[in-house]
This record gives sequence, structure tokens and C-alpha cells, in this order.
Amino acid sequence: MPSTTDLEQFLITGLSLGGVYALSGVGMVVLYRATGVLNLSFGAVGAMGALIAWQLINHSGFGFWPAALVAVLFGGVITLVYGMVFGPALAHRDPLVKATATLGLTLILLGVMDLLWPSSGGASRSLTVPTDANTFQLGQISVTYTNVIALALGLVITLATAAFLRFTKLGTAMRAIANDRDITASLGVPVRRVTAAAWFGCGVLSGIAGVLLADLVALDPTTLTFLVIFTLAATLIARLRSIVITFFAALVIGVVDAELTPVTSLSNYRDMTPFVLAAIALLVLNRRRVITVGRQGV
Amino acid sequence: MKTESSAGTVPPSSDGPNGGMARGSARRLEPRSLVRPGVIAVLVLCYLLFIPSIFRLYYVDAWTQVTIYSIVTLGLGVLVGRVGMVSLGQGAVLAMGAWVAARLLFATGLPFPIVLLAAGLITMVLGTLVGLPALRMSGLYLALITLMLAGAITLVLQNINFPNGGHGFTGYNGASVHIPPIRRPSIATTDPAFFRYSVVAAIVMFLLVLVHLRGKPGRAWAAIRQSESAALAGGINTTLYKLWAFALASFITGVAGGLVAGSYRYLNSLTFTTQDSITLLAVVLMGGAYSMTGAVVAAILLKFLQALLNDWGVSPDWLTILFGIGVLQVLTTAPRGIVEQMPKDLARLWRLLRRLGGRPAAAREQAQ
Repeated sequence: MPSTTDLEQFLITGLSLGGVYALSGVGMVVLYRATGVLNLSFGAVGAMGALIAWQLINHSGFGFWPAALVAVLFGGVITLVYGMVFGPALAHRDPLVKATATLGLTLILLGVMDLLWPSSGGASRSLTVPTDANTFQLGQISVTYTNVIALALGLVITLATAAFLRFTKLGTAMRAIANDRDITASLGVPVRRVTAAAWFGCGVLSGIAGVLLADLVALDPTTLTFLVIFTLAATLIARLRSIVITFFAALVIGVVDAELTPVTSLSNYRDMTPFVLAAIALLVLNRRRVITVGRQGV
Repeated sequence: MKTESSAGTVPPSSDGPNGGMARGSARRLEPRSLVRPGVIAVLVLCYLLFIPSIFRLYYVDAWTQVTIYSIVTLGLGVLVGRVGMVSLGQGAVLAMGAWVAARLLFATGLPFPIVLLAAGLITMVLGTLVGLPALRMSGLYLALITLMLAGAITLVLQNINFPNGGHGFTGYNGASVHIPPIRRPSIATTDPAFFRYSVVAAIVMFLLVLVHLRGKPGRAWAAIRQSESAALAGGINTTLYKLWAFALASFITGVAGGLVAGSYRYLNSLTFTTQDSITLLAVVLMGGAYSMTGAVVAAILLKFLQALLNDWGVSPDWLTILFGIGVLQVLTTAPRGIVEQMPKDLARLWRLLRRLGGRPAAAREQAQ
């Protein structure tokens, strides 16, 4: 049985990862509600952003923060461009088709990343957030400020997004579009501009998540691309609706995954956590629902 | 897509405006209805006989892969095109089939076809069990849960490794120095022979799917794809038939996994990745999910292009990028894939050429 110190140390890791999954999940849910697109390229966009930041830091003499800003902007711009080009073309298609189309972007980015930053050659890259060096003691365990930033960002972005959707004009417009796109358009809401904001916001969050995960997990295109699975599980548990449930689900997934690290028999299998938790949630939540087809397509 | 409510029994590609009449004549077996199957049979026979003598060994291998993967793309095509379920985990299901087959081939002396059958059946049970939670839900959920499943299966296979002649349940011996190759059928130990063996196995799988599509399940799937609520109201047990489609796809993918094990002869956890599942969906959409020919085109895109680029020394990453662009192009402008788009484009090009060639003549006539 692992010691308490171990468990506490991994709790910190879990919470900070959970924070990043949470802010990713919020980005995905908001975009899904506003446009009906489940952005499966979230991880790939973040990964490419992180690699660009790495390139700028190591080969162009950028400092960390300007490079990170470029990464975040890259995420926002590429997602926005995708949304503006393919969003209208697929606007009236099934959510499944829209989600599948984002896999196209994922493949393109994966190919480009492998071409520009080949993984063979044995040289592993890393991206270190400067706050990794600043630590403080919490009881017996040491916490870096990166951990704090990750969890805090998750919390702040969840709360801020909730407030934004509730109180601002743009947020209200987004909720209206989520409810009924056509009626909202006929009421004079500039649908294109509002969805553009959602796309850009989602992209910015994917850039932030990419940089943080590159530090907390690894700077590897494939790993970062498929970390989207953790976020997906959280959004799935929230049934792609509630950002508050997404937040808590993301924390639980992050913590369970991390806490299994010191358990020898399960350590290697801990990354199955999102699949297992999401499957259980789907089974339990859908016990009484016979069939979920309808106009909204869920 | 909406016009094919009655097309469950015939491939949409052959379904003209008088699709109903074509089906009627098929029953009476008029000579015309035999032309298409006849042509296909001759083509397949030529493929089976001549590929090993035309191409050098490297490309015979590539065609073996094309043959095997056409079974996989066919399975995914049934799910995507016929039932309207998108699975992002077929690559993982294939890996599962390969694992089971490799384990059985090392552990037992069973004949190869029996092993293929067993691998198919075991994969069918496993694949169906894990897909069960999502089957009662709308398509997006199925896609997501299967994507997670692909990640989970890849992880498990990375940890238990592929059998390499060791003992115990996993059959993996990390200390093994002389790793024995995975057994091939005694009648097909050489590469050309294994190519022919795979073609025969693929033919059986295509026929199995054809029987399903022409029968009751095919009609039920067509109804479900049109509208699940309408199918339900029409008395179709939608959960059963969706499960059936999933089981059929898992079965043939498992069999294909067995063939992969036999053709590669050495498997390791790097052979199959989570990305494979996404690439598979991409080529199925590009090839055309609505027809069986589309499955073949998809397999050619996936495996022959790969071999070709590899031979030319071009990075396979370009292929990944091409598939990404292909998915976006197919979904926005050509939902039926290359199989249907190519003839249309060629016809358009032909008309354009004729117009270009015809204009001066027409102008001269007007001048007179």
C-alpha cells in the first residue's frame, strides 16, 4: 500500500492535471453548445502550439512568456480559421459529421508536426514553465507554482465562463444560438460573429492547455493529441451540457488517474481511467433513457 | 442520402432511378443482372492469379496488406455507411484480433482457418461487450466512447505485449532472444501463397457481408440510418440490429487481425497505434462508405499508397496530411467518396473537353 505522502503528492499532480482537463472541457462544451461542433482537434492544436513555443524558445531566442503567448494565439487563430471555413459549410449537418470533420484537421496537424518535428533521433524535447522552479511546502509535500496555476486556471476559467454565459450580451447570444440557431438569427443576432468568438475562445483554451500539458506530461505530438481523451471523458460525463459538472468530472478523472500511479498492480493501466469512468457514467446516467434520438441530437 | 430508403438490398452505387425494377429483374436472373457479378468475379480472379507474377515481392506484400485491410475498411464501412454509426476504435479491434490469433497460433496446433474463425469470434464478443454502453445512444456518443476504447486497448496491449512464444496467459517472454515467427498456414508459407490465401479469406468475408446486406439485417440497418425513431416505430429492434452490425464488423475485423498476424509474422505493441483508428475512418470516408467497392478503394489508399511512398522515399507524414484534407473534402463536398466522385468528375472533365473541342466548330457553323 502506498504511503500517505505519496498519495498527497499525487493528489497535487492529479489536481493540476484535472485543472487543465477542466479548462479544456469548458472550451469544448461551450463550442459544442454554440456551434454543435465537438472539437476533436483540441489536443492536436494545443500540441502544435506547444511545439511552436518550443521552437521559438530554443531556436529563436524567445523568452518563455512571449513564446507561450504565440502558442496560445496560434491555437486561437487556427481554430478560428477552421471554424470560419468549415463551420458554415457543415452548419446543418449532423453533430457526428461535424465532429468527424475536426478529425481531418487533427490528421493534418499530426502529419505537419511529424514532418517539422520528427520524433525519431532520440532527442526528446521538453517545455518548462518557469514557475516550475518556484516551490513551496504544504505539510510534507512540495508544490510548484505551475501546479497552482493549472488548478487555478481551471477554476477561474470555469467560473468566468459561467459568468460570461450568464451575464454578458455575447454569452446570452451564445446560449440563444445553442438553443435554436435559426430563430436566434432571425432575431438579429450576428450568428457568424458570435460563433467566431466561440471558435476563437476554444482555440485559445487549447493553446493554454497545450503549453501546460507539455510541461506537466510530455512535449510529444501524439501524446498531447490523444490527451484530448481525458477531456472528452469529462465532457461526456457532463453530457456535453454543464460546464460545472465538466469541471468536477475533470478533477475526478485527473485525481483518480494520478492516485493510481503508486498502486503497483494498476499503475500501468491507470490511463484507462477516462474510458472506465465515462463508460460507467454513461451506463448509470442512461439507465432510464431508452433511446436518445431527437431533434437536438443530444 | 435521403433517397435510399428502399436501397438496403442493393448497393447504393448501382441504385439508379429505377432501383426497384433492378431488384425485380435480379430475382428472375436476366442476363443483364449477371453482368456486374460476372465482371467482378473475373477481376477478382485476375487479381488472385496475376498479382504475384506482375509485381516484385515488395509490392506483393503491399497487395497482401491491401487485401487484408479491405476487410477492415469493409467492416467500418458497414458501420458508417449502412447503419450510420461511426466507430473510432476499429484499429484497436484489429489489434485485438491480431493478439488473439497470435496467442492461439503459438499455443495450439489448430489449423489456420479455425484460428481465424476463433479470433473473429473472440474479437466479436470482446468488441461487442465494450461497445455496449454506447450502443443505445446517439452516434456522437458511440464515436467518443470508441475513441476512448481505442486508447484503452492500445494501452493494455502495450502493457501485456504481443505473444512471442512465451508461456502463461499473455504468451510474452521479455527475455526471449530467438523469437519464433508467427505460424502461417502450411499451404501458404511463402509471401505469394499467403497473398492468395488472404484474397480467398477476403472473398469469404465480403460474401458474408453481402449476405447480410441483402437480407433482413441490411434492410433494418437502412431503416435505422434513415431515422432511428422511425425504425423503432416501424417495429425494428434497433438496439439488436445496431449490436448485430457492431458484432459483424468486429467479427470480420478480428479475422483480418488474424491475417495481419500471419502476414507480419512478428508483432509488437508499436504495430498498432490509436492514430490508426482515426486514419482508418479517414480512408473509409474518402473511399466511399456506401459501397463495397469503396472499401477496396479505402484499403488501396491506406496500404498501397503507403508502400508506394515508402518505396519512393517520401515521408508517410504526407499521407497523413492527405488523409486529413481528404476527410474535410469528402465531408464538405463529396459525401459519397471517391467511388462515386471519380466517375462524376471524369464525366464533367469529358464534357468540358468536348465543349472546348466543339466550340470552334460551332462558331464556324454560325459564321456560315
